[in-house]
This record gives sequence, structure tokens and C-alpha cells, in this order.
Amino acid sequence: MSTPLLEAENVGICFGGLQALKGFNLSVKKGDLQGLIGPNGAGKTTAFNIITGVYSPTEGQVRVGGQEVTGRATWEINRMGLARTFQNIRLFKSLTALDNVKVACLNEEQPLFSRERAAAARAQGRRLTAHTMDAFANYADWWRALMRTRGFQADELRLTERAESLLEVMGLSHRRDELADSLPYGEQRRLEVARALGTSPKVLLLDEPAAGMNTREKADLMSLIRNIRDRFELGILLIEHDMKLVMGICEQITVLDHGQTIATGTPSAVRQAPEVIKAYLGSGELALDPVDAPQEAPRPEGAA
Amino acid sequence: MTPDASLSALPTRAGLSAWVPFLVILPILGGLELLTRGSPFLVYISLMVGVNVILAVSLNIVNGMTGQFSLGHAGFMAVGAYAAAKFSMAMDPWKIIGVAVAPSDQIIFLFSLLIGGAAAGLCGFLVGLPSLRLRGDYLAVVTLGFGEIIRVVAQNSDALGRALGLSGIPQRTTIFTVGFFVFLVILVAKRLADSPHGRSLVAIREDEVAASAMGINTTAYKVRAFVIASFFAGVAGGLFSHFQSVINPMTFNWVRSMEIVVMVVAGGLGSTTGSVVAAVSLTLLPEGLRTLFNSLNLNAGRIDQVRMPIYGLLLVVLMLVRPQGLFGTREAWDMWRKRKPTPAATEEGA
Repeated sequence: MSTPLLEAENVGICFGGLQALKGFNLSVKKGDLQGLIGPNGAGKTTAFNIITGVYSPTEGQVRVGGQEVTGRATWEINRMGLARTFQNIRLFKSLTALDNVKVACLNEEQPLFSRERAAAARAQGRRLTAHTMDAFANYADWWRALMRTRGFQADELRLTERAESLLEVMGLSHRRDELADSLPYGEQRRLEVARALGTSPKVLLLDEPAAGMNTREKADLMSLIRNIRDRFELGILLIEHDMKLVMGICEQITVLDHGQTIATGTPSAVRQAPEVIKAYLGSGELALDPVDAPQEAPRPEGAA
Repeated sequence: MTPDASLSALPTRAGLSAWVPFLVILPILGGLELLTRGSPFLVYISLMVGVNVILAVSLNIVNGMTGQFSLGHAGFMAVGAYAAAKFSMAMDPWKIIGVAVAPSDQIIFLFSLLIGGAAAGLCGFLVGLPSLRLRGDYLAVVTLGFGEIIRVVAQNSDALGRALGLSGIPQRTTIFTVGFFVFLVILVAKRLADSPHGRSLVAIREDEVAASAMGINTTAYKVRAFVIASFFAGVAGGLFSHFQSVINPMTFNWVRSMEIVVMVVAGGLGSTTGSVVAAVSLTLLPEGLRTLFNSLNLNAGRIDQVRMPIYGLLLVVLMLVRPQGLFGTREAWDMWRKRKPTPAATEEGA
């Protein structure tokens, strides 16, 4: 419990002259459920992309399980125990729901050189050893797949079972053999979570998991997210626009605006922070505008 | 749940099921070999078809399954063709002691095919490692460039006979050997597609960013797909050089690469069945048109003038009618499986 699973320390990134993120700090421990909020363009998804290795930060450090991840490839960071979903759904459209999850369940295989050992070597910083082990593991997989060995068939069975159990957790069992593309929007989002869970993560990043869902689906999702955290003993970090959802389930919230962290703390503390109210509703002077003031001003209290 | 029940019964006879297809196909190929003994034209056409099927199915692993657009398949074919030809020519005076001449030649031929395949596979690895980080059009340009480099190297190297190419390559290719490698490449493609590895390749095609976020080392997977495809292109090159007996650099120019790409696209990117069907029909089509026009008593010069535009026109019509190719991403064996309705499918119907 003591060591954070995911740590960001003073992370910043510049795109040309634009400082998209600056001095970003974060610490997610096992069992945490944290929120990352902010107006559009505040740098939330940029933060996610830095953490998952899509972008390299221009300053600061990101650590997963105590290991520095800056400069590592996305797939390596995933193997270190970090999985994510995407804001604009990125499923493998022509694969079935089951196969989508099975793709992610790579870690379950136990080839000649096990992936656990490769991951251990990677965690110790022995990257060449880890790469070699992975390469051998993959070539062994080819051979096993071509020869249809018993081990291969047993693995396929185990993969299928695991993927089925994840689909069941996410309430998607009835969609098992349907193409990911043909699922309704809300179910596609849930399938993305199932797929991310397939990689056996320690930390799960959810990028707007409730986007495009109706009120009932959102309520279901809130309990589901809590359920996932407890069941898989994860740390969860989520980006969300829906204040009700964020305030309802997150224990700790970080608020970004223009790349700066303007508030951090419990939902009630964040809700009352003047910077947050200002970022979301504009400054006091503007709120005094005779037309806008009556509709805009009461809202923070109302939403709270 | 029924598919799982049947799967759980499988592991006990898994070792055997790996070899059953071989036991079935080998006598069939032997029979075909004997049946076609007396008709050289039929043999020639079958060999051409076979080589093209190997090329199309292997390219489909890269272009179709993995979604990487390679335009250099003829280059890998050239590497295999030259490597295998050089090896056989060097080995020609030698025979294996204690084995009759014909089988001895066939064994050496098999080795030269494997050497051709390995040489092409190695080239695939060397080209793939840096270039498969690129996507889409960029990769297409790099692979196209590679193909041309191979051709130009062959054209300017004395050992490879410069523009005249190599001649006097022993004619060793038989229906049996071509058939065996056709069978092998289809088996590899099918079993690969049904494995975690194949699923990962499709995942890369569908969404590279997501695949990489799910722990798939995308570059490594793409390189491996590229190596397998190049290996079979090299084998196809070896088979080709050993029945043409003469090869020259212009045989392996980018037009050849395009022909293979057209087969894969026409069959449906990602469908092994489609690649086979398209390779067979697109190889036979020009010959079929020749026969057709011959029977219409057109003079010989006219036939070629009419034949190729019609070939092109048919491709245009195919792409207009079925832009996803003949088979889309589906396989013949999928359609067979779909006959048995899954629980989800029946639910949907109700």
C-alpha cells in the first residue's frame, strides 16, 4: 500500500511554443480512485498520453511501480502494469468482443520464456534480456501456433476463459461473438474497459468512460468502476466531464486548467476552491454581467 | 459454451492434428504429379498459378492481416530466385551418395529453396526493422524502393549475370514441390490467423495505437509478419527460377510487385481464401482470354492489344462492384463454421 503504483513528478510538455502541461504531480496507490478534471483543452488527455508513453515529457518524471517510464514504448509501459481506455473509442472493430479481450490477454500465455520473467527483467532495467526473452517467447508462440501443440490449445482455452470472465464482469457476455463495431456505444466503452483489464494492470486509466452514456448507464458505470477497483485491486485514475460522476466516486481530484494544476484534494475541497469555480464559470467580474449572472452563479451550489 | 466443450477435448490429439493435413495432401500432390505428366502446357500454367498463390497468400499476411502496405514483394522474390538459382547451379555437379539421381536432385533443390527463402527472410528482417516504424504510404515507398534496389543490384552485378540474368538453371520444379509449398503457406497463414499472434496482427491493422496500449510490441510483430511473408516470397522465387530456367532482373520489377498487390486486393485484404482465388483467377484470366480470342480468329498481334485492357477493365469493374474484394476479410472456413449458429446469433435473430 505504501509505494505508489503510478507517480508523476513535476511533469511538463511543450508542443512548439505551447506549454500544454506544466508541473503536473500525481500519485495513485492501490485502491485509489482518483479523478482528473478540467475544462476542454486543459491538458487532461495530454497527461494521459504522457503517462502511457504516447508523448515524452519535456520535463519531469513518470514512474510506474517505482520504475521510471520516460522514453519507454507504450507497449512496455503497459507490460509494467498500466492500462488505459480511449476518449474516442479505439476498439479492434473487425474482431469479436471476445477476441478484442483475448488480444489484450497476452500476459496469460506461458511460453518457453515466460512473459512474467521478461517483465521482471524489464522492471530491473535489463532491457536487452527482456527483449530477447520476448523475441524467443514470440517465436516459440509461432511454432506452437503452427504445430497446434497441446500447450497452445490449453493456452487458447485459458485465454478464452479469462476473456469470458472479463466480459461477464463488464456485463457483455451476451455480446461475446458479435463484432466490436456493431455494439451500442455504451457497451463499446465497457468493452474497452474489459480489454484494458485483460492486460492485468495495476493501474487503470479511464479517459472519459461515461462520455455519450445516458443517466442510467452512468449510474451503472459508477458502481461498476468501484466494483472493478475492489475486485481487481487496482488504482484507477479517470478523466471525466460529468461532475456528478466524478464527485460521486472519486476520493481525490486533480483539477487542470491551461496545463496548470489549479486544485487538488477531496471532492468537497475541490468544489469550493475559488480557482476551480473561476476556471469553470469564469471570473467574478464576468459573472456580474446582468444577463449571465442569475443563471450562471447559483449553479456551483446547485450542482454541489 | 458448446465450442469450449469441443475445444477441451482437443488437446489430447493435438500432436496428431498438426500432421494430419500433411498426410492428406502429400498423396494428392503425388497423384496430380502423375496425372499431369503428359501435358507440359498444363504443368506450366499450374506452376505459374502455384507460384502466384504462394506470393499472394504470403503478401496477404503483411498487407491484409497486418494492414501494412508493402510494394516490394517482387524484390523478395528476386532475392529468393537468385539465391536458390546460384546455390543449385553451384551444386549441380554434386549428387548425394547412395541416392538415385532424381531424388538427390530434388533434395538439393529443397535445400536451395530453403536457402532462397532464408535469404529473402533475412532481407525482410533487415528492411523491416527500420522501415516498419513507418506507416501507410511511407512504408509503401520504402518497400517499393527496396524492390528496385534489388533489381538494380542484380542488373549491375557480374555474379548475377547483369541485365542478361542467369540462364541454365536446372529445371527441378514439379507440381509436387509447388503444390507442397502452396499447401504450406496456406496452412501457415490459416493457423497464424487463428492464433494469439494472428489476432495481434489484426489488432495492429485495426488500431495500432490501441494495440500498442494493450502491450503489443507493434514493430516486432510487424517485422515477424514481414519475415514470414518474405520467406515465402523467396521460396516462390526459387520455385519460379527452377522452372523458367532463365531469370533476369526485369522479371522482378515493380510491375510484378503490383500484380501481387492487385491479387491480394482483388481477393479481399485479409482473406487467405480471397488471395488464393484471386491469384488463381488472375493468373488464368490472361491465358483464358488468349484462348477465347484465338477461338474468335483474331490475328495474333491484335490479341495482346485487346487482352490486357480487358484484364484491366475487369479489375475496375470488380473494384466498383466489390470494393472490399471478392471475400472481404472472410475465409472459406469461416463460412463453413457459420453454418452452425452460435447462441449469440440466434438471440439476435429472435
